[in-house]
Amino acid sequence: MVSMLVDVGALEDFREGSGFRIVSVKGQEVGIVRWKGQVYALRNYCPHQGGPVCRGTLGVRLVGGDGKPGVIEIDPETPIIACAWHRWEFDIRTGTAVWDTRYRVQTYSVVIKNDRVLVEAR
Amino acid sequence: MYSGPVIDCDVHHGSRSQEDLLPYLPKGWQEYVKGRRPNPLPLFTVGVLQNPQGFMRQDAVPPNGGRPGSDYETTKAQLLDPYNIARAILTYEDELFMTGWPNPYFAAEVVRAANDWTIDHWLPKDDRLCGSILISNHLPELAVKEIRRLGSHPRMVQVLISTNALGHPLGHPLFHPIYEAAVEVGLPVAIHGASTLTGGIVSPIAHGYPNFYLEYHALTPQGSMTHLVSLIANGVFDKYPSLRIMLLEAGVAWVPAFLWRFDSEYKGLRREVPWVKRLPSEYFHQHVRMTTQPFELSPKREQMIELLSFFDAQDILVFSTDYPHWDSDAVTHIMKRLPESWLPKIFWENAVEAYGERLRVSASTTVAQ
Repeated sequence: MVSMLVDVGALEDFREGSGFRIVSVKGQEVGIVRWKGQVYALRNYCPHQGGPVCRGTLGVRLVGGDGKPGVIEIDPETPIIACAWHRWEFDIRTGTAVWDTRYRVQTYSVVIKNDRVLVEAR
Repeated sequence: MYSGPVIDCDVHHGSRSQEDLLPYLPKGWQEYVKGRRPNPLPLFTVGVLQNPQGFMRQDAVPPNGGRPGSDYETTKAQLLDPYNIARAILTYEDELFMTGWPNPYFAAEVVRAANDWTIDHWLPKDDRLCGSILISNHLPELAVKEIRRLGSHPRMVQVLISTNALGHPLGHPLFHPIYEAAVEVGLPVAIHGASTLTGGIVSPIAHGYPNFYLEYHALTPQGSMTHLVSLIANGVFDKYPSLRIMLLEAGVAWVPAFLWRFDSEYKGLRREVPWVKRLPSEYFHQHVRMTTQPFELSPKREQMIELLSFFDAQDILVFSTDYPHWDSDAVTHIMKRLPESWLPKIFWENAVEAYGERLRVSASTTVAQ
């Protein structure tokens, strides 16, 4: 399958901390987000029921502290998007569900060139 | 894929704020709410158990503000128009919790206000919308009064119970006047299962109040199961042979195994309830219909289909989304999870049969595949 790089905008238009921006890539909605200096692209389609996953809440992963009930800690290294519908959680770097890595949101490779964000579409 | 008209049997509509409802209260109750306080008394008794991630779809916030479900235009754009919804049965939002007010007279007044507000502000907006007569059930005689007041309204298609105000399962004889009144006006009675948050009157789950929303939400079928058993064991369907019960948001996957159990139990314990003349599953099939949402997600599609076939679900289920809640089911998702041959019944015919002429549609409407 031939892939192509689709220009989705200037790097400066995707600001850290401002969540996902939804763009169109070859007719599909794709969410673009910048996190810790990297840019990620996820299809705005939840594998659960097809909801707009990228319109959910972007945040960090909460974890238990050593497995003890009653302790909640932040995992600052794992950025999570919780789907806008049923709040299923996916790591934005890989698209994989927090609870099963075999379950995932489709992701796209991103190339930054001349301060432009290019998404590899297949 | 099914392309015919769809009846959505559980669409939550709500007020932007209680200011919408206050004018519908008698003057004395308005003063009761607003007077002698810096802020008005809240009409909604939302329980302490709340979804820590919010209760609504995050993409359902109206463009002009307000809560999801409070704006007709947003509901129309997101649900009614794109999915060929021919009828949407409105089932309230926070108003469901108003029925949980401990003050039984106040509860009866606020649900009456909610019903009148719905008739004035929602039903005229779209012919596709159908209303529910919301009742509080602390004092069944007041519920009967409300059912009789609105029972002949052509756009009201059901009586809606959302709270367990007396701490008894809903088949208890205390509640029978409600069913009698519903039969009198020719309406089914819907029990909104997930509203067993009850305003704190009883625990929403068996054996005590849960710690986490997860516990409560995973166990919401418990309340519906309790009421189903109670209705049958207390002879409600024997007393009111034409009564139809709609179980909303009860879940569906538990049904076949539970009916097997209930039938077995009846065979040994029938002597205790001799007025129950048939197997419980027979009463269920004749008198009860259930919404599809929340539709359990089996690991394989075929597993759920087989499970549903054990209780002839294609005749029992009526489609619902539960829009705009966080746990709502998408129309296309449910279509894909069910056999195509079942879709005309579940998305249209069963609701037409259950609700009758109040839906203002014909059962013989051509349903294209």
